[in-house]
Amino acid sequence: MTDASSNPDLLKVRKLKKHFSANGSFLGNSKPDVRAVDGISFTIKPGETLGLVGESGCGKSTAARAILRLVEPTSGEVLFRGRNLDTLSPKEMQDLRQEMQIIFQDPNASLNPRRRVEDILEEPFIIHNIADKTERKDRVAELLKKVGLAPEHAHRFPHEFSGGQLQRIGIARAIALNPRLIVADEPVSSLDVSIQAQVINLMQDLKETMNISYLFISHNLAIVEHFSDRVAVMYLGKIVEMTSSEKLYANPRHPYTEALLSVIPKMESGSDQPRLLIKGDIPNPANPPGGCAFHTRCPIKEKQCETTVPELKEIEPGHFSACLLR
Amino acid sequence: MTASELRVENLKVSFSGENGRLTAVNGISYCLKPGEILAIVGESGCGKTVGALSLLRLIPEPPGRIDAGSILFDSRDLLKLTPWELREVRGKDIAMIFQDPMTSLNPVLTLGDQLMEPILRHTASTRQEAWDRAVEVLRSMEIPSPAEKMKQYPHQLSGGMRQRVMIAMAVSCSPRILIADEPTTALDVLIQAQIMDLLQHAQEQTGMSILLITHDLGMVTEIAQRVIVMYAGEIVESGPADELFQTPLHPYTLGLKNSVPKLGHKQEPGKRLVEISGNVPSLNQLPSGCAFHPRCPSVMERCKTEKPVLREVDPGREVSCWLEEASS
Repeated sequence: MTDASSNPDLLKVRKLKKHFSANGSFLGNSKPDVRAVDGISFTIKPGETLGLVGESGCGKSTAARAILRLVEPTSGEVLFRGRNLDTLSPKEMQDLRQEMQIIFQDPNASLNPRRRVEDILEEPFIIHNIADKTERKDRVAELLKKVGLAPEHAHRFPHEFSGGQLQRIGIARAIALNPRLIVADEPVSSLDVSIQAQVINLMQDLKETMNISYLFISHNLAIVEHFSDRVAVMYLGKIVEMTSSEKLYANPRHPYTEALLSVIPKMESGSDQPRLLIKGDIPNPANPPGGCAFHTRCPIKEKQCETTVPELKEIEPGHFSACLLR
Repeated sequence: MTASELRVENLKVSFSGENGRLTAVNGISYCLKPGEILAIVGESGCGKTVGALSLLRLIPEPPGRIDAGSILFDSRDLLKLTPWELREVRGKDIAMIFQDPMTSLNPVLTLGDQLMEPILRHTASTRQEAWDRAVEVLRSMEIPSPAEKMKQYPHQLSGGMRQRVMIAMAVSCSPRILIADEPTTALDVLIQAQIMDLLQHAQEQTGMSILLITHDLGMVTEIAQRVIVMYAGEIVESGPADELFQTPLHPYTLGLKNSVPKLGHKQEPGKRLVEISGNVPSLNQLPSGCAFHPRCPSVMERCKTEKPVLREVDPGREVSCWLEEASS
């Protein structure tokens, strides 16, 4: 494994773009492309968790899908353990998929309602031709135990489970083939508060026991801080700030990050820090504002922000921010 | 009892299901005081929404049915009003905003038509008057170019803007009570903060009371004065918002508080959240005794068989837990 030793990054994303064409009517007055992901770069080290935060429509889910090649990126590179996914043959790509898995937001929609849990969990082994029939049964039972369910649950259908249990099954499916990387796309946002903590704890346990890296996508900053080693904040297809989660919360540099942090209720009396109220809605990604995309809502914007596009700069070691003024 | 106080007594609501009736709300009592923001918190299926919808008899009957209780408002029992009398209350004295602004606005009518409907029904005499009032409330909700928006359709607005229109519609007839059912759940975090600010502002301006239904504990501590925590169709704890989350008395409230990660308190790597084990029970398989006992970290023998009753332990603080009884 010379690749891995010379390149310690598990995942390296370079200038990834995904544009969706928004063709107008058939008469041909085509509209500009929606630039859902517009040149993002980051790395994930083995065993590390990177949180990806942003409001709806900022491109965080599209980024996840483009990284896993569930949608074809428009441009940019994704290197997994040093191998450029773009250069792989379909067969090689399929083999590599054993090592990169995904957990979806809505476990109800991502598990086939007409198949029993054992069939759902057996599928990865069949696709990758691992283990024979009896061994597969054992593996399924083992998986269920790992995620806190009972082996008897294997014969049930998805509708017989609660949301939290379904998400456990989704997680069991993702860890079936001992992946190195799991992309978790809003894994707890459809769950009740008391169940969210259970699922987060389960994912954390698996991270420690199986040495899994996560790309953890969420709009909930408090959960992201708790779960991630580093955090990237996205706004309209771009990363606007990225640093360790301690630094991001202690010392946010981008006004958008600041605003996101300030509106989170503290749940403690006595911390009456004023909220930074941001006016207006997220601009339409098909027609983003010129200059800094955040200037239309930014509380500290100046003239230059309307025309100059800020670069993501390293403002202190390991702390990146894209703001002209800070 | 003051005139605009809303007093709910022993409200029971059930739905007919495949295996008989399911009790969604099992005898809850509370009162909403004039000018206060009262939050009802709980997880899905705890009966918070059904309880709120029942106040205006908005649950579909059948399959739903209000089995018992009374809802006293203006020395009348809302449950005994005729449909016609109820229409006079809805929108005028008690208004409501819903979780999803897309599905609660009519997609084929202009916003103006929808905004003017309650005003014409309850307060205004001419269309011009109604139009002016509608524009005025849109402006008070900080909607840019309100007169133009009156001619637009819901799909032309963003989610946050739609929810503003919903609030504008709800406050257009100056109701004394506003029921807000998860008003920000479908919205992005920054927009959530805007909407909550608007609601709070509207409350201060008009002096109305707000009954806020939510699962978001953080939001509750920010704006509510009093909180009711519901579990499996019943009230398990109630009290002033700051006290209730500072020193929760019921193990369920404590569990809810602990299972939310606190911002800026990044624990050492690998530190786990304190979770509530088990699942929310389904209504057709409610546990015996205290409904929370299978998930409770401090369960006692007594909890498995005997059901605790809600009782006042300190002025303004109620809890239904045997533990509290044992310690006092």
